[in-house]
Amino acid sequence: MKSASPFGFLGPVLATIVAVALGTFVFHRYAAERADSIGRARAEQAARWLLTHGPTGVEDLRRSGTVRLAGVAFDAPPAGSRYPYLRRPIWLAHTEPGKVEAALSRDDPAEKAAADALVQDELVRLPDGGYRAAAGERLGGGERRAAVVELAPPQRVLVPWPGLSMAMLAALVFWWDLARRNPASRSRPVVGALTVSVGVLGLLAPRLLAVDRLEVPASVGSADVTGAAMLLAGVVLAPLALVVGTGWRHGSRPSPHRVAYAYIGPALLGLGVLVLVPFLYGVALAFTRASHGEVVFVGLSNFVDILSSAGRSLTEPLSFYFTLVVTLLWTLANVVLHTGIGLGLALLLKEPTLRFKGVYRVLLIVPWAVPSYITALVWKGMFNQQYGLVNHLLAGVGVAPVAWFSEFWTAFTANVVTNTWLGFPFMMVVSLGALQSIPADLYEAAAVDGASKWQKFRHITMPLLRPALVPAIILGSVWTFNMFNIIYLVSGGQPNHGTDILITQAYRFAFEQDRYGYAAAYSVLIFFILVIWSFFTQRFTRSEEA
Amino acid sequence: MGRLDHVFKHAFLVVFSVATLFPALWVVKMAFRAEQSFATSMNPLPTAFDLDNFAALLGDALFGRQLLNSLFVAALTTAVGVFLACTAAYAFSRFRFPGRRAGLMFLLVTQMFPGTLMTIPLYSLMEMLGLLDALLGLVLVYSTTAIPFCIYMLKGYFDTIPRELEESAIMDGAGPFTLFWRIILPLSRPAIAVTALFSFMTAWNEYILAATFMGDERAYTLPVKVQSFVGDYTTEWGYFAAGALIVSLPVMALFFALQKHLVGGLTAGSVKG
Repeated sequence: MKSASPFGFLGPVLATIVAVALGTFVFHRYAAERADSIGRARAEQAARWLLTHGPTGVEDLRRSGTVRLAGVAFDAPPAGSRYPYLRRPIWLAHTEPGKVEAALSRDDPAEKAAADALVQDELVRLPDGGYRAAAGERLGGGERRAAVVELAPPQRVLVPWPGLSMAMLAALVFWWDLARRNPASRSRPVVGALTVSVGVLGLLAPRLLAVDRLEVPASVGSADVTGAAMLLAGVVLAPLALVVGTGWRHGSRPSPHRVAYAYIGPALLGLGVLVLVPFLYGVALAFTRASHGEVVFVGLSNFVDILSSAGRSLTEPLSFYFTLVVTLLWTLANVVLHTGIGLGLALLLKEPTLRFKGVYRVLLIVPWAVPSYITALVWKGMFNQQYGLVNHLLAGVGVAPVAWFSEFWTAFTANVVTNTWLGFPFMMVVSLGALQSIPADLYEAAAVDGASKWQKFRHITMPLLRPALVPAIILGSVWTFNMFNIIYLVSGGQPNHGTDILITQAYRFAFEQDRYGYAAAYSVLIFFILVIWSFFTQRFTRSEEA
Repeated sequence: MGRLDHVFKHAFLVVFSVATLFPALWVVKMAFRAEQSFATSMNPLPTAFDLDNFAALLGDALFGRQLLNSLFVAALTTAVGVFLACTAAYAFSRFRFPGRRAGLMFLLVTQMFPGTLMTIPLYSLMEMLGLLDALLGLVLVYSTTAIPFCIYMLKGYFDTIPRELEESAIMDGAGPFTLFWRIILPLSRPAIAVTALFSFMTAWNEYILAATFMGDERAYTLPVKVQSFVGDYTTEWGYFAAGALIVSLPVMALFFALQKHLVGGLTAGSVKG
């Protein structure tokens, strides 16, 4: 039944190798050209800059250490001479102090360039990859001035993408073999052996060919080049995987599992590299004391410190338990408010005879559309003690200005108000959608039976809303639990880290105190709490799963 | 349904809408004042129509570049994210294969990874790949952040498409790719639109990772730039507000263009798991 030969996969492998080779070539050319144009532009800029800044500029450049050589040359027609073309250019300033006031020699290339630049600008690439630019200008009275700058070759960084592409290739082959594996096939050992050898070769090839790391001029901005190459590899690999996996080539009917893996493959590959790998690395960090590149394995001591609240009483703001309680409180308050307000508005808006409900719905969705960091910053302004609007409003009803962020409860309230503003539209939209899917005849039948409004809500609306609302609430609770932006930008943890939730606390440990290991352990605990919560809530949603 | 009842409802909705719009109107007001201080009068409507703040921002070449950065990152994230999410969601919806439940579970679990746990390793990874300060690095990170949610949403929608359509196509000799490309995708346009919007918003609005990975001002995305107007001691509220409007408007336009689908897409998709 299977028509594909065991060597069928050599086609895509070869295609990938060609793609990688082509990518490498294009990449090299592109990187070289970009680096050259950047180097030229920099050298020219430096010379022009030096020309306007003169000798002080030379001193600045010397101190900055960014140039190999810089000098300003000057010449003037000899005073009173009958031969004005007999000029003697000298160095006004030079990075080598000994050269100052000395005459320019025509033998030294840099000095020749400077002398020439008095007449004509120059921009050359030096044999070692550096750049020399010389620029000149005419001053009054026949005086001329020139600046010359030599830049060292641009620094080079090593990027591992060829090796990575090869590894990706090996992974692809492994994966593809897995996807197409047919238990009945007798050629399986052959395919297996071939796959393993191609995989090993794929991993070793870059080392053998000494291309596992490419040198890229740092000035190219590591950036676009590597990215372009990676993207190229990805763009080539993903559809290839899709096509190969679906057996598009031969029109043969592939096994359904293989097709499934082929469709999931690209997404899973991305998630694996950019989600799973960093996650595992983060978990590993939790067992270390890591700071500024130094990593020391410390076992469970981070966890012990956190969970025993070492050095603090349990009810102090920086203790894990205090922060946990604040986080739970924060999540609960928000979820209740989001759901309550969202559902309430949805019930109001579902009324078929209500006019302008489209308008209301659009207006009430606005907070959802505003980026959360903007919301946070605007509300931070609104809660400002001096100029904030909230205090102005309170002054209108005779309340003295409140310093919102100096007390725990007021700061907490400010956070909750901001997040409620931000979050209720989501719940409203979800509830509206679910309400619309409830058949109207149910209500009619209930009305015929003489059910009260409350009874209709209790026995029709609630049960039918549940399947849509419960997962939305769970999702919302996870989002709120990890809602970094609002806490970090509105209260910023004031007063004294009291209103920080777990995630902002972890961020502070990492990026404000450089305790990466401790922060990672904190994050692992957060993760566990959420996983437990989701297992707990799975029971509510399980029935939905087909 | 009494008339009075409706009057009360309208009164409540009007008051609530005004309260909701208040902070948003505030931003509009500050954007159109040629001042950098916070507007303190109670009137939320613009009192002046001054384009100085916008002119100052848009006249700045750096800001223009940052705007393009944001557009580029968001557009590419959308393209990559939607493509990968569509294919994966199709497999999760239509095939029963070993590892399916585990895969779905994994997607759910990724939503619980705390951002801080990911930031440090991602930083090292990006550094290793030479992707710091690179827009494409952001694209990679953002599309993978957006994908799990997108897969869930699309899978839910794909589940609602009757299988009979595909069965009849199989009778006519269609392969899996044809089914996916010719039947599932065209039928799922609303859900794809919502997914695209979601991916776009993820990339367009993200602030923390962009602020962490982008050291060079020329590589900033707009959120990082806009945030930089709000300092610890002084805040240029005028520039901030104008920047905020420039950032928010495209998203809002897309949001409202798609909001009909949004209701359907969300309820059919993410929510019915």
